Amino acid sequence: MDQQLLVDIIVQIIIIGAVASGLMAAFGAMTVVERKVLGRFTMRYGPNRVGKYGTLQILADGLKMFFKEEVIPLHVDRLVYLMAPGIALVPALLAAGVVPIASQPLVLPFEVFGSTITIYPWMANINVGVLYILAVGSLGTYGVILGGWSSNNKYSLLGGLRTSAQMLSYELPMGLALLSVLIIVGSMRLTDIVNFQGSYLGGYLWLIFLQPIAFLIFYICGLAEAGRSPFDLPETENELIAGFATEYGGMKFGLFFAAEYIHMIVLSFITATIFLGGWLGPFSEQIPVLGIVYLLIKVAFVLFTMIWVRVSIPRVRFDKLMKFCWKFLLPLSIANAAITALVLAILFF
Amino acid sequence: MTEKIIEKLTAKFPAALKDHSEFRGDTTLKIDAEQLRDVASFLESDEDAQYNLLVDIYGTDRLNLGQTPRFAVNYELYSIPKNSFIRLIVDVPDPGRNGGTDGSGRFGEPLPKVASVTDIWPTANWLERETYDLMGIEFENHPWMHRIMMPDNWVGHPLRKDYPLGGEPVYFEKDRNNPRFAHLGKQIMAGPSFETELPEEMDTNGHMVLNLGPHHPATHGVLRLATELDGEKVVRVTPELGYLHSGFEKTGENKRYEKFIPYCDRMDYVSPMNNNLAYVMAVEKLMDVDIPEHVQYVRVILAELQRIASHMIWLGTHAMDVGGTPHAAPLYCFMMRERILDIFEMVCGARMTTSYFSVGGLRWPLPGAFMDAVRAFLKEFAGYYHDYHVMLTKNPLWLSRLKGIGILKAEEAIALGITGPLLRAAGVPLDLRKVRPYCVYDQFDFEVPTSTDADSYARYTVRMEELHQSMRIIEQAIDQIKPGPYRTADRKVALPPRQEISTSMESLIHHFKLVTEGYLPPEGQVYSIGENPKGWLGFGLISDGTAKPYRLRVRGPSFVNLQATNTMARGGFISDLITIIGSIDIVLGEVDR
Repeated sequence: MDQQLLVDIIVQIIIIGAVASGLMAAFGAMTVVERKVLGRFTMRYGPNRVGKYGTLQILADGLKMFFKEEVIPLHVDRLVYLMAPGIALVPALLAAGVVPIASQPLVLPFEVFGSTITIYPWMANINVGVLYILAVGSLGTYGVILGGWSSNNKYSLLGGLRTSAQMLSYELPMGLALLSVLIIVGSMRLTDIVNFQGSYLGGYLWLIFLQPIAFLIFYICGLAEAGRSPFDLPETENELIAGFATEYGGMKFGLFFAAEYIHMIVLSFITATIFLGGWLGPFSEQIPVLGIVYLLIKVAFVLFTMIWVRVSIPRVRFDKLMKFCWKFLLPLSIANAAITALVLAILFF
Repeated sequence: MTEKIIEKLTAKFPAALKDHSEFRGDTTLKIDAEQLRDVASFLESDEDAQYNLLVDIYGTDRLNLGQTPRFAVNYELYSIPKNSFIRLIVDVPDPGRNGGTDGSGRFGEPLPKVASVTDIWPTANWLERETYDLMGIEFENHPWMHRIMMPDNWVGHPLRKDYPLGGEPVYFEKDRNNPRFAHLGKQIMAGPSFETELPEEMDTNGHMVLNLGPHHPATHGVLRLATELDGEKVVRVTPELGYLHSGFEKTGENKRYEKFIPYCDRMDYVSPMNNNLAYVMAVEKLMDVDIPEHVQYVRVILAELQRIASHMIWLGTHAMDVGGTPHAAPLYCFMMRERILDIFEMVCGARMTTSYFSVGGLRWPLPGAFMDAVRAFLKEFAGYYHDYHVMLTKNPLWLSRLKGIGILKAEEAIALGITGPLLRAAGVPLDLRKVRPYCVYDQFDFEVPTSTDADSYARYTVRMEELHQSMRIIEQAIDQIKPGPYRTADRKVALPPRQEISTSMESLIHHFKLVTEGYLPPEGQVYSIGENPKGWLGFGLISDGTAKPYRLRVRGPSFVNLQATNTMARGGFISDLITIIGSIDIVLGEVDR
């Protein structure tokens, strides 16, 4: 095999590992940040005992999760029960595969064993990126459904049922919202979408300004896909104890938990990339590192709004969510896509 | 008013009315057990009577009073249109075979029987079950005569006077070698699962029966709701109670009147001041004590503060049930409750279990900074009150979760004996503070908020408006209150001041008698009700002239209101059931007592 190819593969594997572990670390950080922010919203301090400002809470929580006794109830379907958390987590991580964090790959100025090393700011810059995100994003639902079913618990079953019904209702408007973006950009590659946003109005024609309705629909459906309040109906701790996760404990529950947060983080990356101009910002052309900082700021903002929504909006009822998705979001997104197509047709043909 | 009814009753059922009497304003009719149902339906439907609200049913065991027959059932009725109370006492015929007063009542003997009034007042359902469970009086033609407080396999009826007090073997010790309990200590699923009795009409084969509780985040305690589900639709809810039953009534019958006050705190533990007030009013009614005006005002201020605190708990937990645990509203509410508890701490040293009111007055005089603290609180609370409205009242999601959910119409509510905000939300402006003012509630200008929607949102708006009215009452009370003695001058009831004891022999004797013996109310029976945040808290007292109540009856508003769960939740979703439980506003300490 060509030595250059081998080095490229090794570098890519290292990047994949770094992203996966980076996401897991981000999940840990996110739990603390969320608790801290929630605390502030509700006039509390949030975690502040472990480490300075509670920063070591991640370690404490992680250790607790890992060292908890593994309890597997006798009445569960063992194989599916054990697989479900993994099935929930893996698609969430996979979705991160197509998210770019900068426009250009970085070529190291020195050679290693005679090969140049190129560090790509993405794992796969495929030309069906948006489609891939939609496909992988909905796979995560299987973990929840299977977990709810295999637990052999009435609360879990209801939670799993809600997920399967809910998924149908939000996937459609979500896809249609992205469709109206694709009509404008003309490409499903995420770097193309960002570059499109960078090429007009001095780099400020972000798609949120062109497609505010599509952004809102995508954001709402994203909340539903990540299972976040007010659409955390599979969990609904006040009704179904913990929903699909009722019978899970220890790290198995931790994986479900991680799946939710990683889903949330990846969705924020995607939102920031597609609608908020990704790495675009002042001087990001000249200093590419600034671009990454801008992206992270945007992602942090989206994540913050997700927590904000959680603390200030009551949960929707299950059937009302379906009604809302089918009777309001779906027609709205169809109309949005149609009008976008019509306007473009009038303007350019 | 009652004379007319007695006249009519005698004319219509000459043999039914055996006796009637008046004591402290309570009218008591003695009714023949045979004709109870006729008299009951007459009182319920007659246009001069219209006793449409059955307040309470409780049994009495007159074993130690030496009266025959041994058991009697008391019915406390209230007429909403006529604003009048009446009490029916029915002597339950002895069941034969050793029944009666000859040292009987041993287990396994036939129970005395009386006709059920469940079809006249549906609220009698649970009240009769409770009487059956605790007093051992069976009600014929009752839809489901089962124990309600004690476990299904309990032996005996605890409120009977010959029921052993302590010293009985502990259940588990006795059953240490019983194979039934061999699973204890093993993993839960390895043990046998016990089927508790459910009503026969529950379709356990075609539908899923979900046991919400006794350990569930939204049941606010150890309430179990056996919920029959068709998909996510609720077909029927059967509340199962008694997990927290602690026999307050039995305890009260073995304590002096004064010593029951701390127990009141622990019933509805989010409104101890109101509970204390209702109880001391009952004892004061029994003893006919005059209470100084200053004390009345202080009682009103503290009771209204407690009402706000109780509603804060309701609003917080309700928002949490509907909106999810991390919602901001719960802690905003608890914040204000903390302020009120701080005031209570300042007044009496305790935050939750206050026991501040005593028979004849207050336990201690108010601290000097009290009025300023209350004023400061009112100012701060007004801002928060606005915040609650901004957070929830117009929120479309909040509206969609509450509007049209859990409808309880006025007729149904009255039939089920519902009182408090639930009844007012159905459009019946029944507030005891208005229709029968106690303390000095007639001195204040306040409204009784009502709504006609009768759904969860109506209950929400009514309670929110009640918060506002409570603020108004407190403001007026603070302006009107004048300094004065903090307890009655009646030395037979309240302790004399300390300085008097060293100068007056008589005071010393009074002090000694009160401390060693307690006060001795006259013989008689009273029933007194306080308008609690959750509804009517009733205390029934039967005195035999000693320092301990012969019979102490507690009517918990949550207990009666909870009975409406099935009516409200039928046909809704599980999520609605949670909303409905939140909007009933129960405290399990009071439901199970």
